[in-house]
Amino acid sequence: MGNYLKIGLTLMAFSIVVALLLASVYTITADPIAMAELNVKLESIKTVLTDPVSGTLLIEESDIPQSQEELNEKIWKEGDSDNLYESSRYNGYCSSPAYKFSLKDSRDAYIFNGASVGYGGYVSIMCSFVEDEGSFELLKLEVLDYSQETPGLGAKIAEKAVKERFFNIPQSGLTAGVIVDKDSGKSPAKTYEEEKTNKKEGIISVSDLMTGATITPRGVANAINTMVEYLEQTIGGDE
Amino acid sequence: MAKEQSQLTNGMFTNNPIFVQALGMCPTLATTTSATNGLGMGMATLSVLIMSNIVISLIRKLVPDKIRIPVYIIIIAGFVTMIDLLMHGFLYDLWKTLGLFIPLIVVNCVILGRAEAYASHNGVFKSILDALGMGLGFAGALLLLGSVREILGAGSWFGIPLWGDAFNVFIMILPPGAFITLGLLAATFNWMGISREERKKKKEQAAKKAGETA
Amino acid sequence: MKIFLIFMSAILVNNFVLQRFLGICPFLGVSKKIDTAVGMSLAVIFVMVLASVITWLLNGLLVLMGLSFLKTIVFILVIASLVQFVEIFLKKVSPGLYEALGIFLPLITTNCAILGLALLNIQNNYGLLETIFNSLGAGFGFGLALILFAGIREQLDFADIPKPFKGLAGTLITAGILSMAFVGFSGMIKL
Repeated sequence: MGNYLKIGLTLMAFSIVVALLLASVYTITADPIAMAELNVKLESIKTVLTDPVSGTLLIEESDIPQSQEELNEKIWKEGDSDNLYESSRYNGYCSSPAYKFSLKDSRDAYIFNGASVGYGGYVSIMCSFVEDEGSFELLKLEVLDYSQETPGLGAKIAEKAVKERFFNIPQSGLTAGVIVDKDSGKSPAKTYEEEKTNKKEGIISVSDLMTGATITPRGVANAINTMVEYLEQTIGGDE
Repeated sequence: MAKEQSQLTNGMFTNNPIFVQALGMCPTLATTTSATNGLGMGMATLSVLIMSNIVISLIRKLVPDKIRIPVYIIIIAGFVTMIDLLMHGFLYDLWKTLGLFIPLIVVNCVILGRAEAYASHNGVFKSILDALGMGLGFAGALLLLGSVREILGAGSWFGIPLWGDAFNVFIMILPPGAFITLGLLAATFNWMGISREERKKKKEQAAKKAGETA
Repeated sequence: MKIFLIFMSAILVNNFVLQRFLGICPFLGVSKKIDTAVGMSLAVIFVMVLASVITWLLNGLLVLMGLSFLKTIVFILVIASLVQFVEIFLKKVSPGLYEALGIFLPLITTNCAILGLALLNIQNNYGLLETIFNSLGAGFGFGLALILFAGIREQLDFADIPKPFKGLAGTLITAGILSMAFVGFSGMIKL
């Protein structure tokens, strides 16, 4: 009995020492970890608020949040759970919170995190929607998480050339519903002008870059549609 | 000096944990999708290995024999959690990519194996050397595997594109590629070992013949 | 419905051994004969489900106390203790199986599949029921891969393999081909 007690106590002693050591490392790393996570978010926000054509930042330098508190000031809508909105039609969701920024030219920009189902799982994106006198334009998007997509196929969605196809979708395209050109039945656009015309109808030309990998960009399109659905319900209803 | 050197080469080549002992396969196959990932994982494992070998060697006289395995596990798990937290805060991108496999360093048979087989019976300095040898052998194998898979599968090395999309066998980056590449590398190691054996045998036979005729 | 999809996905689409690379050591070590493979699989399924439930409950407690960083230590200790119990239990109930599994039974502790499964359940925010079905699926997937492989290896024993490929190398390449077959299942299930 005494032997077992001794063994048990030694084991407990070791556990306590290790646990205490870990607790100190935890408190030391808690702040760097929070900063690292925040920085990833801030980087993406900066990227989607940079004009795709000119490459200039669309908000004032001073307006860029430097801390979690400053970022929280930009919150537009928050949900009580992790998700702000879920769309059964597009099998997607918008994460909470959504942010609102004032651009240099006094237009409003709304930033959403959302996802829809891709090939192996959810594809997460961050989008910036710019409001211009009541109408919206999808300015830019950034692909955040595509880890379930196949490398070399669906994973190409994160490449610059592919993401660019989704930039600058006008209101008409958003209202029509964003789809990939393969799903539209239209033949692939051959010129940049054709691409722009297609975008006005919500048709995104990606079939040349994502051959054999339509499901992933379709997921991105559905994620965008989920965000548009939410926007139409919130802002459309307000007016 | 020679003894220390041989202890290092033991871990790195003669008893390489992956190619010879076949330990620690899971992280080897899973995290070697690129040279950077393989090296990062190797370094993380090396750090845990060195730290745990040091501590276990230091306390080896204090631990009752019956509970030594749970105690080793607690210590190793402690260091793994520390590395996980540190990487989360300071090496975010690598941390995100390695993901689940950082906490899985705990069950890497190499670490518990060396603790049990060596650190629990030897002094601190020798245990450090042992950890260095085995750890560098492990990291080296991971770097090798990661490089092969990245070069063949993505046409780049450490993220630097070599020939772009011209030659991409992207199954290398998928699970089957991992198995097959490791299998081929293991076969190469085997073949080198076999030829070394045969050369040694031939030398011995020649020496015997020379001895007989003399 | 989602539970069924989680279960099937764990077996085929995200097979723990051939796609997620968890549980390779026992996979390569215990797959020489079909009957040992079956015995090992059953032991693993049992430990997996039990360990997942216990770790899931404990994680809830840890989160409540703000001690999530102790997750790894707590989980691995739970798994180690569970394997001890299974060992004692098997020794009493089925000494034949206990002998056959030999050293591989305590090695279930270092089976990354079990710790990996416990951590994945938390990472995916599964509820208790989803955890149980994911664990069952993972265990069955492991068993499936193991038994398939054992069948192949029993046949391979009679084949004439070049010397460098004997042993580990040939086994790995065979596993690679089996893994390739399972890649065919990807995209089958859209959660």
